[in-house]
Amino acid sequence: MLNNYEKLFGHLNSQEPPVNIFDRIILLIQQEKERKRTKKILFIFSILFVISLIITPLSFNIFINQIKDSGITYFFSTAFNDLDVFIALWQDFSLAILESLPLMGLLTFVFSLAVFLFTFRLFFRRKKLLIDYLFSHQHLHNII
Amino acid sequence: MDFSDQQLIVDYLKGDEESFKILIKRYLKPIYNFVYQYVNDPQEAQDITQEVFVRVWRYLKKFNQKKNFKTWLFQIAKNVSIDFYRKARFHGGERKNISFSDFENEKGENILTETIPDPGPLPDEILERSDIGQQLAKATKKLSLNYKNVICLYYYHHFTFQEIAEILSAPLNTVKSQHRRALSILKKILEKDFN
Repeated sequence: MLNNYEKLFGHLNSQEPPVNIFDRIILLIQQEKERKRTKKILFIFSILFVISLIITPLSFNIFINQIKDSGITYFFSTAFNDLDVFIALWQDFSLAILESLPLMGLLTFVFSLAVFLFTFRLFFRRKKLLIDYLFSHQHLHNII
Repeated sequence: MDFSDQQLIVDYLKGDEESFKILIKRYLKPIYNFVYQYVNDPQEAQDITQEVFVRVWRYLKKFNQKKNFKTWLFQIAKNVSIDFYRKARFHGGERKNISFSDFENEKGENILTETIPDPGPLPDEILERSDIGQQLAKATKKLSLNYKNVICLYYYHHFTFQEIAEILSAPLNTVKSQHRRALSILKKILEKDFN
């Protein structure tokens, strides 16, 4: 019986898929890859942005307080008020300024500011891509 | 040199993009034909086929390589086809092309064919008809989706009953019963057309 029906189904004509279907599949996969990459960038961007948004003003405040506590302002006010003295003793003044500079506070502030600017720049460079992803991602749920 | 599905998957996961393309080319036509029977529309069959292979790409890393890739692929094809059909019905689309028998219950049992015995072989005169291909295509369209699936997966795609049961998420005995009933119905239709 099986051979009989196997012979029958040997006559069943198959449908030929459209000519460009393979290329379309590859294209869709490429788009999917791009979407995944964008999602990763968006996630990293969001984390970095939030962290830098919190840390930048905090580190700035800390830096300013450290500047006040370090006495650097005294050296600068002396330099402006008694320029002759400053010029005569500029090496000692410079060394004193450098020694009292709150380096850690400065580095933290500069670093967090750099991260903040970097994430902003990232957003503007990939703005179109990210916005397209945010809006098309919603739309994709409605498609097969 | 022909690589097995498993080898192609291993190579792809190691970074060889061409291996995945070979896999797609290998199963593009069988999958297209499989989903075509759900929708009977070339454009919709194309859309579904595309979605099937995108899903395969998406989930390939999670695929258990000890299992049969072909079976897994056809399971995805079945699920995507059913999702498409349900969405189309939900959005008020007409799905005239997909026939679910009015006499079938959820298990795929047709009360009209419950008492039909083993179909027996087809008369040779039917097989020798010059237009048997067309007649068969017409007759197959009259089958319900469940029966069509079993018949096509068994005779056209050469799956075993066990594999068909996995693909269709149905018990093995149900698949065998559906196979027998489908052949009975087909035989009746072909004999009726012949006479």
